[in-house]
Amino acid sequence: MTRMNKSLSRRHVLTGAAAGAAAGSFGFPAILGAQPAAIKVGILHPVTGALSYSGTQSRFGAQMAIDEINAAGGIKSMGGAKIEALLADAQSRPDVGAAEIEKLNEAGAAAVVGPYASAIALATTQAAARHGLPHVVDVAVVDQVVTRGLMNTFRFGPGVKKTVDTAIENLIKINDAAGKPAKTVMIVHEESAFGSGMATTLNAELPKHGFEIVETIKHANPTRDFSNIVLRVQARKPDLLIPSNYYNEYVLFARALRQQRVAPKAIYSILGGGASSYKFVKEFPDAAAFVMDCNHWFDPRKAAALALKEKTEKQGLFYTYEVFMNYSCVYLLADALERAKGAQRDAIIAALASSTFDMHVMPYGPTRFVNGQNQGAQPVTTQILDKDIKVIYPLAFASGNVVYPMPERRA
Amino acid sequence: MVALAVPYVLRSDFWLGFLITVLLFAALGMAWNILGGYTGQFSFGHAAFFGTGAYTTAVLHIGLGLNPWLGLATAAAAGGLVALLVGYLSFRYGLRGSYFALITLAFAEVLRILANSAEFTGGGVGLYVPLDLGIANLQFADKAGYYYVALAFAVLSLVVGWMLERSRLGAQMMAIRENEDAAQALGVDTFACKLKAIVISGALTGIGGAFYTHYYLYIDPGIAYGPGVSVEILLVPIIGGLGTVFGPLAGSAVLHGAGELARRLMGDAPGLSLIFYGVLLVVMVRFMPEGLMGVVWRIRRRSETQADA
Repeated sequence: MTRMNKSLSRRHVLTGAAAGAAAGSFGFPAILGAQPAAIKVGILHPVTGALSYSGTQSRFGAQMAIDEINAAGGIKSMGGAKIEALLADAQSRPDVGAAEIEKLNEAGAAAVVGPYASAIALATTQAAARHGLPHVVDVAVVDQVVTRGLMNTFRFGPGVKKTVDTAIENLIKINDAAGKPAKTVMIVHEESAFGSGMATTLNAELPKHGFEIVETIKHANPTRDFSNIVLRVQARKPDLLIPSNYYNEYVLFARALRQQRVAPKAIYSILGGGASSYKFVKEFPDAAAFVMDCNHWFDPRKAAALALKEKTEKQGLFYTYEVFMNYSCVYLLADALERAKGAQRDAIIAALASSTFDMHVMPYGPTRFVNGQNQGAQPVTTQILDKDIKVIYPLAFASGNVVYPMPERRA
Repeated sequence: MVALAVPYVLRSDFWLGFLITVLLFAALGMAWNILGGYTGQFSFGHAAFFGTGAYTTAVLHIGLGLNPWLGLATAAAAGGLVALLVGYLSFRYGLRGSYFALITLAFAEVLRILANSAEFTGGGVGLYVPLDLGIANLQFADKAGYYYVALAFAVLSLVVGWMLERSRLGAQMMAIRENEDAAQALGVDTFACKLKAIVISGALTGIGGAFYTHYYLYIDPGIAYGPGVSVEILLVPIIGGLGTVFGPLAGSAVLHGAGELARRLMGDAPGLSLIFYGVLLVVMVRFMPEGLMGVVWRIRRRSETQADA
């Protein structure tokens, strides 16, 4: 769904011309020329279909940033030009995403922000590359998004490899600091690209660091009954449990573990669907207690991050990573527009490539793109403590102290 | 002639992309039509052939560097082969009607799960075809290239359908659709005839899958073997008109046109366009059970009777 430019209808042009003629003939100063043309930016997410929740959250985050930027006077180097969002829906399908890029291109978009999911990003970045259309990728963690040599693609967040490496690094630090209580690991993952990719990487990496993987269990999407899987966890008694699945399955699995009183030394997920979610914490505080996750997360020390949290919650929404990632991506693009001093796509791509943007709400430091990947991007490890989500690693951004091994959770 | 000139007149990549989708699904719809429309064997699992075509060319191209143009041919062969297997097993045991529909659906699901688990299909992660623009690679810098390939595929399918309609095999297929027992009594080898129909259908569908792979450069089990593909393929001829040559083309144009129209009309409210689309489909199936071609005939018949009077 692309919103076409409605601002330049025939009637507007006629009124404008008439007003201009009137102003001219009566000798009034020409006010009409003062307003620079809006810069159109495609905001492309899967707002319907299987990923609709993440898509709408993403769209909300982007929209918040656009509203703020426009309220603060737009892009100053372009005479205060406003950003106009062209909202597009990928319907959770790569082919629809690619078609929406064509539509955005023809509607005159200067750049695109989106599209949350990896499979969609592979299609949209490629389609945008054909038109030299700058594409800021928000989440889409699969590494191939930035390894295909596309000059128009800039991913703000970290990829899978970086995330897994950081997660393992943090896990080792946590485990070592507690006197290495954990040796055995069990992985429970969903069957699509995200979960199986993660499981493969973990199976290759964890044994190198002295962990023994006792079992890897795959489950379908959706799965609504985890009792059998929990029984197997109970039988295997792993020290560490690594779930890798989407929100619903994550929550159901955590609840089933709680009900069966299965208590590993830690539940540690990587890009876990539920662990870094206020929704999970609010709705199932018992099942969520002490769960750790390595994921995209805001910098809890930044005032802007907390201000956005408040605004988001005021709208009755949960402050999920989709919101602050897209919020930051729009600001990243606005910074590039500011330096590009125009809506030409080449100039915007050059400005993004040389970006040192650091006014985001993430724990990233200055942005620096190498082959389209933000080198500053990094995930953090969070833990659910006192019914809140705290950053526990890296220590520089920490807002809480790690609790490990997990204490006995009261029934 | 008009179709060939389109990319020179139509300067919009969006609409060209739209036409590519319409042509692709017209061709796939025609492939389904050969089995479902002419022979009366309703398949709910054409994704089995589509996905096999898509995966065959992807695996061979990525693993062995097979040229994608040859990939189209191997995809046809693979699609035909899977169709032969599915057809042999189900027709051999006399599965008809809804039982046949269910078994095809089951085959597609089995293949989806296999693709999800096997190493060489990339499991749930799927397969990426490397971006390497070049005509030899079936990757065009310009959408017009894809348009011509899709057009050629649609023409091929329609010509196959058109030839079948006028052939002895086609007549036998239609006899099976009307009354299988009667056809058998008249000496039609119904088993062989149905098998031929499903193999032709599967081979054409396999080509469509291969085209999809090289157009979007990414497939995963859900995209290739998912039930969504099966449904989209069978809706096209049902909307357009079962057992007709131009039904799938009309069906694909209307189906995707309506989807696009819904998106334009309904604006930014998420999901509203899908509701509109669904309602439109229900209305069409309710009031035009013979599809668009049925409407065309009715109008023609009416004008003929008026001319007679």
